[in-house]
Amino acid sequence: MQIKTNQFGILEFDSNIIIKFESGIFGFEQLRDYLLIKVDTDVLFWLNSIDEPEIAFPMIGLRLIDEGYPQEIEHEAFGIVNMNPEILKITVNLKAPVYINQTNKSGYQKILDSDKYPVKFNLFKE
Amino acid sequence: MLILTRKFNEEIKIGSDITVKVLSISDGQVKLGITAPNNVEIFRGEIYEKVKQTIIEASLSSKEKLADLSKINLNKIRKITD
Repeated sequence: MQIKTNQFGILEFDSNIIIKFESGIFGFEQLRDYLLIKVDTDVLFWLNSIDEPEIAFPMIGLRLIDEGYPQEIEHEAFGIVNMNPEILKITVNLKAPVYINQTNKSGYQKILDSDKYPVKFNLFKE
Repeated sequence: MLILTRKFNEEIKIGSDITVKVLSISDGQVKLGITAPNNVEIFRGEIYEKVKQTIIEASLSSKEKLADLSKINLNKIRKITD
């Protein structure tokens, strides 16, 4: 299969690496199939829709930000990142984590019922 | 939209397995008890909207040209949880 992504151009891949989100991502419930992309030189992961390849979510592993972040069995927690030309204004969504199981290629998103986790948390500091 | 009037302690059934019960009513606030299967997600409406809006913004801002983020300090949380 191949898709044309915004950030990485045309990518070719086998369908067995597709990650399925049965309930989609909040705001994009109709999109279920994603490619998880990692560039080794960058801290970000990219969750790129296969059905609408222009839709992509940069994400960061939340263990890097908060060692105590709520984990789910056999899943990795990611936060969706809001990019900004000014690096210090880049934020990560701690309220609605994306949980991905890279072994069985499935994922889901949650909204945490806690005021401790904001939807926009500054990702970087000086 | 279906509009139902309920009193203290009365319930509403949504399908066979979702129950919403009025637990208390006091000046401008109503406390609801919701029983639903595990796979039914329950959110406060305004929080769901805020999350959705932030994610739509994230998908739009993902088209920004990538800066080199590798040399910038991550804003780690020492202890956000109890």
